[in-house]
Amino acid sequence: MIKLNGTETPYRETIGELLSENHYEMKKIAVLVNGEIVKRENWPVFVLKPGDEVDVVTFVGGG
Amino acid sequence: MTYQIGGRDLRSRFFIGSGKLPSYRIIPEMVEKAGVEVITVAVRRINPETKQENIMDCIPDHCVIMVNTSGARNAGEAVRIARIGRELTGSDWIKIEVETDAKYLLPDNEETLKATEILVGEGFRVFPYISPDLVMAKKLEKAGAAAVMPLAAPIGTNKGITCAALLKPIINEIEIPVIIDAGIGRPSHAAEAMELGADAVLANTAIATAPDPVTMAVAMAKAVEAGRMAFEMGLLAEKEFADASSPLTGFLRRIE
Repeated sequence: MIKLNGTETPYRETIGELLSENHYEMKKIAVLVNGEIVKRENWPVFVLKPGDEVDVVTFVGGG
Repeated sequence: MTYQIGGRDLRSRFFIGSGKLPSYRIIPEMVEKAGVEVITVAVRRINPETKQENIMDCIPDHCVIMVNTSGARNAGEAVRIARIGRELTGSDWIKIEVETDAKYLLPDNEETLKATEILVGEGFRVFPYISPDLVMAKKLEKAGAAAVMPLAAPIGTNKGITCAALLKPIINEIEIPVIIDAGIGRPSHAAEAMELGADAVLANTAIATAPDPVTMAVAMAKAVEAGRMAFEMGLLAEKEFADASSPLTGFLRRIE
């Protein structure tokens, strides 16, 4: 399993697969694995480990 | 006339926050009509089912995006959000906002200083949001902050300049720009902040929750400009007793 935005989600081998499997639109998002940013160009090749915490973030309105 | 802040030449001294807006689609009109050049945004987790418009599509290209670390509870989290912000926008302007107190949302000045030291080291232009404390402002200046952003009153309270006696020493004693942030509820508050000598004002709630955010943004922008003009000219001192403005001779009195 992978913890995606705090929720247990089935394991996928790479960030790219995890995002497309969960129907993310790839533009204007950033991805963190265990709190560290993974650059966009590395998403297709970045290999996840079971239990990794993945956060997908974007900008919202804020003061 | 332009002034320098965070390595940029800006004209507008009125910064806006983009939280609580009824729709991001009003941002372009607001920016244009109020002449805004700096806008803050926040970073949050996104779920794929969220089909909301993306704020980045609504912010005009000429605007400087200031990423806000709101939601961070300590320096480490603020640093992480700053790095995400830079990754997403390429903007190195970061507003450090670290809060642990949910009731008054008062900033943790100590964690803010820690985050500032780290992020300055990473090449960010750091804008720390702080309680109005001159000693902390001096430490932040020494740490390399681009400006300080002391609060006028707690976030979203619309109480205005509640602590001029604490803001004025910061304005007087530090060299980096002072942006008065939070608590600005009305144009008169914004004008007062600028009359005190602030370099800029940031407002969010007062605009976003107004019946017409665009009109309120314009009103605030005018007040900021008016306050700045008066400050640059020099304000007059208060007097205890009346000082007639009409001549005190030649009255039309009936001679008895």
